[in-house]
Amino acid sequence: MSGKQYLRNKLPVILINLLGMLALALFLSAGGVGIQTILFIGVIWVLTAVCYLIVVFLSRKKYLDRLLDMTEQLEEKYLITEVMTVPERAGEQVYYRIMKMGEKSMLEKIGRIEKERKEYKEYIEQWIHEAKTPITAMKLICENNRCDFTGELLIELENMNRYTEQALYYARSEHTEKDYLIRETDLEAVVHGAIADNKHLLRQNSVAITVDDIQEHVYTDEKWVHFILDQIIGNAVKYRTEQPALHFYAVKKGDWIELSVEDNGIGIPEGDLPRIFDKGFTGQNGRTVQGSTGIGLYLCKRLCDKLGIGLSAYSEGEGAVIVLSFHINDFVAEVQG
Amino acid sequence: MKQRILIIEDDVTIQLQLKNLLIGNGYDVESVTDFSSVIGQVKAYEPHLILLDIKLPGSDGFAICSEIRTFSEAPVIFVTSSNTDMDELNSIMLGGDAFITKPYNTAILLAKISALLRRAYPSEGQEILNWNGTALHLEGSYIEHDNQRAELTKNEMKILYYLFKNAGKICSRNDIIDYLWDSQLYVDDNALSVNVTRIREKLVCIGLADFIKTKHRQGYMI
Repeated sequence: MSGKQYLRNKLPVILINLLGMLALALFLSAGGVGIQTILFIGVIWVLTAVCYLIVVFLSRKKYLDRLLDMTEQLEEKYLITEVMTVPERAGEQVYYRIMKMGEKSMLEKIGRIEKERKEYKEYIEQWIHEAKTPITAMKLICENNRCDFTGELLIELENMNRYTEQALYYARSEHTEKDYLIRETDLEAVVHGAIADNKHLLRQNSVAITVDDIQEHVYTDEKWVHFILDQIIGNAVKYRTEQPALHFYAVKKGDWIELSVEDNGIGIPEGDLPRIFDKGFTGQNGRTVQGSTGIGLYLCKRLCDKLGIGLSAYSEGEGAVIVLSFHINDFVAEVQG
Repeated sequence: MKQRILIIEDDVTIQLQLKNLLIGNGYDVESVTDFSSVIGQVKAYEPHLILLDIKLPGSDGFAICSEIRTFSEAPVIFVTSSNTDMDELNSIMLGGDAFITKPYNTAILLAKISALLRRAYPSEGQEILNWNGTALHLEGSYIEHDNQRAELTKNEMKILYYLFKNAGKICSRNDIIDYLWDSQLYVDDNALSVNVTRIREKLVCIGLADFIKTKHRQGYMI
């Protein structure tokens, strides 16, 4: 509340006071009262009025500033009526009631939307689990009846599986609290698992795979890391060059274990690098290669943030390196003995 | 003696295909068809290993697993499409030995099955493969013929293992590479040729010329 605004609001009061003073002065001077007495009364009047205005202004300011402060500190600001004291002034009480009503309808709406979202998410998860049954069946049929085209079918199934996983993790990434299990994880096993899930895709595209001896064990959620590697492998194949190669290796740097996935693909333009983890960002590569959605890496980043894994990308001209960094904290070091 | 595997899975297609896959890999396989008496069928069949889905008509996989645990120690692999951590935790706590999510990689599934069987029934595994008077020793990683030995590298070992397993049959290059990938050896066509050439050189040294035959445009055969 600024003083100027306050004065402007109090203008009628000030004017009435001035008018009253003028009328009194005229009345008194007509009654033969001396000019000094009139001036004296005038000064007292002005002083009293100014004092009153200042005191009211200060107390109002204090009250309103506190209210503002309280609201700012509140995370859910629409709940302010729950914590503020009920105002005493008649006009303010009306506003208070209006805010109460606003809050109630807001809460109702939020509750409804949250319920709808939850139901939708559950439906998506259930749908994905159901979709996996026919994918599994098709995979088994292909593997049991090898012929010329089953290889290509298996690649398509791998792609389909990657997309369904993406949808599943997208749906889950918003409510991750309840869905991860931190365990000692053998990084090499996860890498081999992710390669196995993309075997046909990698073989069909003659990708040369090198997996270094990865001794490191980290504490993380295995299936999330698997999912992230899956997306990275999918990208490496999507943005490949003539003789594609993928190299997996891990190094220990201080408190961090860094798992790197290096490809020799078309690389990421320098200008695009800072934005590749943004939702929906496809960049220059997205315009030249079909099927860029800008969702895969965004999701990876999101999951990594929640799991406390560092995710970064490097590219200089050709090829790209995606690095996952796992922190080894004191607790983990202690557990490992 | 073939080892028995019981499939408890309600999707008919998967049930059938899984059965074919496992029979093709040398197991004796039954699948539960009547879900009102699963336990009775488990008791009657006495499987060495059980593949168990979680979502089933009637009682779910968890309940079945804990009931199986009251009378049998046979390894149980949970095979399911729901991969939440709660499910995985439950499966472990109720005595499941492994948890595999759909769509599973068949190679990984088969590897898990054979690993669990080997652990649960140690004496029943065989570590030496024989063919035409030549013995492939899995443990020591060497091949023996007429008391002469040749040491093998990991790649060579796996290639020979596959040929021995399919002895007398033509193995296509594609299938061999596929098998090597499943064993986490990511070789390409050229590397396979190089490895086979090297194996042949080693075989000649122990007096085995022309042990691996090349079938033009088809693959290799022993």
